[in-house]
Amino acid sequence: MARISIDPITRIEGHLRIDVEVDSGSVQKAWASCTMWRGIETILKGRDAREGWLFAQRFCGVCTTVHAMASVRAVEDALQLEIPPNAQYIRNLILIAHALHDHIVHFYHLSALDWVDITTIPKANPARAAAIADGVSSWPGNSHRELEAVQNKVKGLVGSGQLGIFAHGYWGHPAMRLSPEINLILFAHYLQALEFQRKACQVVGILGGKTPHIQNLAVGGVMNAINLNSLATMNMDRLGMLQSLLQEMMPFVEQAYFVDACFLAASYPEWFRYGRGVANYLAVPDLPVDGKATRFDLPGGVITNGNLSSVRPINDWHDQAIRGAVAEDVTHAWYQGKGLQPPWQGKTDPDYTDFRENGKYSWVKAPRYDGAPMQVGPLSNILVGYASGHALTRKWTDLAFKQIAASGAHITINDMQSTMGRYLARAIRSAMLSELALQHWQLLSDNILKGDEATYNPPVFPQQEIVGAGLHEAPRGTLSHWVVIDKGTFSNYQAVVPTTWNASPRDEKGAPGPYESSLVGNPVANAESPLEVLRTVHSFDPCMACACHTLDASGRRIAQVKVL
Amino acid sequence: MRQSTIAPRASVFGLGNVLLGDDAFGPFTIEIFRSQFQCGPAIEIMDLGTPGLDLAPYLYGRNFVILVDSVKADGEPGTVRVYRESDLSECAAQLRVTDHDPGLLESIAHLRLLGHAPVELAIIGVIPESCLFGAGLSSKIDAAVAVAMDQIVRILIEQGVDCKPRSQPLRPKLWWNPIAPSILESLVGCTPVRDSLRLVDRYENGKHGNENGGAISF
Repeated sequence: MARISIDPITRIEGHLRIDVEVDSGSVQKAWASCTMWRGIETILKGRDAREGWLFAQRFCGVCTTVHAMASVRAVEDALQLEIPPNAQYIRNLILIAHALHDHIVHFYHLSALDWVDITTIPKANPARAAAIADGVSSWPGNSHRELEAVQNKVKGLVGSGQLGIFAHGYWGHPAMRLSPEINLILFAHYLQALEFQRKACQVVGILGGKTPHIQNLAVGGVMNAINLNSLATMNMDRLGMLQSLLQEMMPFVEQAYFVDACFLAASYPEWFRYGRGVANYLAVPDLPVDGKATRFDLPGGVITNGNLSSVRPINDWHDQAIRGAVAEDVTHAWYQGKGLQPPWQGKTDPDYTDFRENGKYSWVKAPRYDGAPMQVGPLSNILVGYASGHALTRKWTDLAFKQIAASGAHITINDMQSTMGRYLARAIRSAMLSELALQHWQLLSDNILKGDEATYNPPVFPQQEIVGAGLHEAPRGTLSHWVVIDKGTFSNYQAVVPTTWNASPRDEKGAPGPYESSLVGNPVANAESPLEVLRTVHSFDPCMACACHTLDASGRRIAQVKVL
Repeated sequence: MRQSTIAPRASVFGLGNVLLGDDAFGPFTIEIFRSQFQCGPAIEIMDLGTPGLDLAPYLYGRNFVILVDSVKADGEPGTVRVYRESDLSECAAQLRVTDHDPGLLESIAHLRLLGHAPVELAIIGVIPESCLFGAGLSSKIDAAVAVAMDQIVRILIEQGVDCKPRSQPLRPKLWWNPIAPSILESLVGCTPVRDSLRLVDRYENGKHGNENGGAISF
């Protein structure tokens, strides 16, 4: 029996720590721990409810807009305040651009090198690689010349022996199995993805006024002035610029990212058998198509026990079930309190012990839905959409299965409940979002051309206490901000973020969270190089410490793998 | 591909989380710098927060980049150190667990491979004392703001950038700081203002509030 601890020990603030017990080459038990006190919400108490989003968007430096959005939605929900359709579409376009950016960074820059061995790239035949890609993709970055140029860059790195930032990879690990050609194609896209990121930032910047940290939100709508006859506002020029950016983003998503995720899935089909974990799924509807938010382009719902026919739809943000079902348990988290607490009554009073595997061991609370742990994220989106017959979800999911089948691996919707399923679901969701981006651009321009320039309905705060929930299906899954407002000021503020659901510790009943249960049964070929553990953890796209950061100039390793 | 603008001659970026105690050092310092110094139009000054790997788009194709940040290094809290890119390349490669791990080295390396890395880079770092939520800058870090600002000015002048003190300092937009610390008084001769953004006032005037004081710029 080996005990492995993966811990970013040298950080000033903590991050995600994963402990696993390995026996006979597979994980028997796992613990996920967040080593930093969040307590972010305490900063919102006593603040003007109209400015909460400015602070909420600083919870996290990567997922800035999603917290801003959930915050204004929570206050609008408490006020039962509708927002104008233009505001809805402008928000949606920002959310789509952000999500695409985020998913692509996750796939290429955060996790691809768990699967792609760049040290084999010098052996690739670029002409053969170009031919492989040409068969399934029209992406212009797959040309022989382009791939050869990337190969030469990698040859330079590998030849010099100075792998720099790539030196930490588990190169040559027996679990790395892509051909040199596929490795070359994926790594070429890894670099080309940076051009895509810039376009996504431009979309957010045009609409949000600034990026990072958008400035255009307001409780009641957005602050974008719309006037087709003014140079200084949203006008035809800017709409045109947006449209071309969204059109330019589409090919990378559909012809590079989506295709690469299918390559990966087809090459590592055994990873559809690992990492299932908690098979309860939660997704909330998002991308509303009207001001009142009664209809949505992304469906929400709840699936229990991995049974897709059990899907219960969540039709809109007023869904009463979710409001009653969400509660947090702190039995194994470093907080005071007992039993399940609904977020509106939630408290954040620390009670730190050291890491005790049978006691308290994490700063993450354990959110539960009707008492059960839930998995959130793109996989939940796709399963809920597929199970409820959502046409766009079915279209892209079936296309992915077809592409994978062409390589000889046969995948069904139930196989998606796995480590590889989470990777593939994120790519499917991105392809959907890329299509929806142009549809929401069309909704916005049609509405403006109709003569509607409204973007804002002013909020009026009552004298009595009100409560609200702001729901958003963020890139990492269901995000909810729960607010209590007293005369225009927050008297309680709780954020239940996607990673809280997924990185949840055990609860009072001892039921582990999704990271923990998904690791059980994972193979680990070599305890010193627990690549397989990272693959499953990365499949969730962990976003742990919401906003902690310090450049490490000391040259020490940021994370340490200890075999105890 | 579209180039949105011609790259600025120099970029001064603050990195760090404004809500996290001394981690606010970067955004704080560049905002004080912006309020105190007048630079030509070819200089961009931005608070980039804690973008992790998302730093790359902001460094893409830039000329001279100055990053102001908190750094983990041996030394007394409040010590200001200036690093060049070559100093960082000796840092050990890092195992990435989440995408919140700082992404500077990776972002630069990615951009180098693409051929769009900044021409030159300087990092002005402070060793923080404490990075706790809602804590504000600690007293040892206060003094470091002036030191870091001197370094920004020195580097810009070395680069031949037009940069001189404003005859009328602007009021710094430290929207996250409910009470501006003593540094504002001693350093910039500015009366500390409660809630520098005055969000509430603007709402009462029927306008909206954001970090820029209401205006949204395209």
